[in-house]
Amino acid sequence: MAVDWLNPYHLQVASFVLINTLLGVSIYVTLATGQLSLGNAGFMSIGAYTTAILTTRHGFPMPAGIVAGSVVAALAGIAVGIPSLRLTGVYLAIATLGFGEVVRVVFVNWESLTGGAVGIAAIPQMGRELLASLRDAGFAPESIGLRGNQFISLSVFLILFASTLCAIGFFFRLGSSRVGRAYAAVRMDERAAEAAGIDTTYYKVLAFTQGAMLSGFAGALFAHATSYISPADFTYHRAVEILVFAVFGGSEHLLGPVFGAMLLTALPELLRSVSDYRYIVYGILLIAMMVFRPQGLIDPPLVNRLAGKKAAGGGSRDAA
Amino acid sequence: MFAEQLINGITLGSIYAIVALGYTLVFGVLDIINMAHGEIFMFGAFIGMVIVTKMNAPLAAAFAGAVLVTAALGYLLERVALRPLRGRTGVSHLAPLISTIGVSILLENLAHHIFGAGNQLFETPFAEIRFTIGSTTVYLVQVVILAVSVVLMGGLSLWLARTRSGKGLRATAESLETAELLGVDTKRIITATVVIASAMGGIAGVLVGMAFNYINNQIGLSMGLKGLAIIIFGGMGSVAGAMAGGLILGLSETFVVAYGSSGYRDAIAFLTIIVVLLLRPQGLFGRAAPEARR
Repeated sequence: MAVDWLNPYHLQVASFVLINTLLGVSIYVTLATGQLSLGNAGFMSIGAYTTAILTTRHGFPMPAGIVAGSVVAALAGIAVGIPSLRLTGVYLAIATLGFGEVVRVVFVNWESLTGGAVGIAAIPQMGRELLASLRDAGFAPESIGLRGNQFISLSVFLILFASTLCAIGFFFRLGSSRVGRAYAAVRMDERAAEAAGIDTTYYKVLAFTQGAMLSGFAGALFAHATSYISPADFTYHRAVEILVFAVFGGSEHLLGPVFGAMLLTALPELLRSVSDYRYIVYGILLIAMMVFRPQGLIDPPLVNRLAGKKAAGGGSRDAA
Repeated sequence: MFAEQLINGITLGSIYAIVALGYTLVFGVLDIINMAHGEIFMFGAFIGMVIVTKMNAPLAAAFAGAVLVTAALGYLLERVALRPLRGRTGVSHLAPLISTIGVSILLENLAHHIFGAGNQLFETPFAEIRFTIGSTTVYLVQVVILAVSVVLMGGLSLWLARTRSGKGLRATAESLETAELLGVDTKRIITATVVIASAMGGIAGVLVGMAFNYINNQIGLSMGLKGLAIIIFGGMGSVAGAMAGGLILGLSETFVVAYGSSGYRDAIAFLTIIVVLLLRPQGLFGRAAPEARR
């Protein structure tokens, strides 16, 4: 067969790469205003559980469940973001870390709703659902030379790829918009930004909410890609992992966390012998990056150099 | 029943207080939250476990071994993850937070590879010895834990209040530049602070092993988060706040489990963090104005 190379396992790895990319972007969005949120694993779990409960118990169609998951996560983001405004730096990081843990403990204990520590199984899987509805319409994947499980994995990958591309595109455009410039101003100097007439409160909550919504979206996609979720998927380690994507890849340019998430998710899968030591490597990476390159591998000057752009108005100007 | 729960709560609370003191000392001097403190504490617990359970050595040897290893880890932490970031321009105030998170997951997974996953039995030689006073049962282990905690906290308070190096530490905490101008060797004070805080974590590790009879490589995380909750509750950098906060958390957890639901025990600490940060960000004993807290 011509498409035997289309290995469902590789496609699954690629799908996780994409979900992690979304998560990497979600922490970047909040960091764009200088706020470090360690609660994105919590928002992710809210998105995943919302859609899992709605689709398995209340017969919601999957797209509606995913939208609902993102919206509920965004609402949670507003609810956490507004009171957290008075917190800066490490205080915000710890409060959001506490939030993530509270959410996890609630999901473990609220057994009637969430299935407790066991989690929720048999969540509709997007590839399988798509195949079933296409089969009803008279389409057989064999007609384009694909086996059933190849088609399922491929469609999951394609749906995630399209979603990730849309999200990256959206935030890339946002970066050079009024909102993106306001984020950058708040990040550089909050007081100066306020003096310049920027509603810092609004933009900080907006960034926080966008990050929460994107995490919830990633969580909802995760639920429908794996069809099984449990609180163990959303622990402190998940929060740290998301942080590593941004810190390693770079937190000052959108491509940084994208690159970080892709490399760090794909590498351990390709080098199976390393994957036992994944978190040891993560730990060393975090320390080494802070010591040698705190802005991450990819930063705006590097991107400009790669794109062949010269700083406008002579090379001497600092492209801050 | 009530008296026994009270004793349980105070025992647990004094361990929490010692863990929280490790955080508060480092924060007071360096303005850094040492996210690796919980994992250093966990290493202390594992070293104590190996000495007591595997080598059948006396408890005192476990304390000594744990203190030695965790003090060494503290020194390494300062040299590798904290000192390189200090005094550099353009380094975000989040950098030490992130580098110590790096140390924490490194240590947690090293412990996983060295000591294995799952619960490990911590056999205290006198675990079964107990006294009954009226209807109240007290275990000798609890008495030892309380005694060690009181001696440790008393010793630390005396050291901070009376000795030259303790005063140097407080001066450095007040203002690093001024202390340096006045002739305090701040570099040494900082190293000493991280080492002492880590060694206290090691002692707390052995105490936790004694109190719960088992340990695993996740205790660093849960205890670390509780320690964070306590210093936020008690006021960052406040020694009295860490002690009081530890006792309050230990008591409230014990009574929630005894008279309520055990499942939500671990949520108390985090809810406390969130509520305190929102209502009284400087904590119970805090002094800094909110604006200065970056």
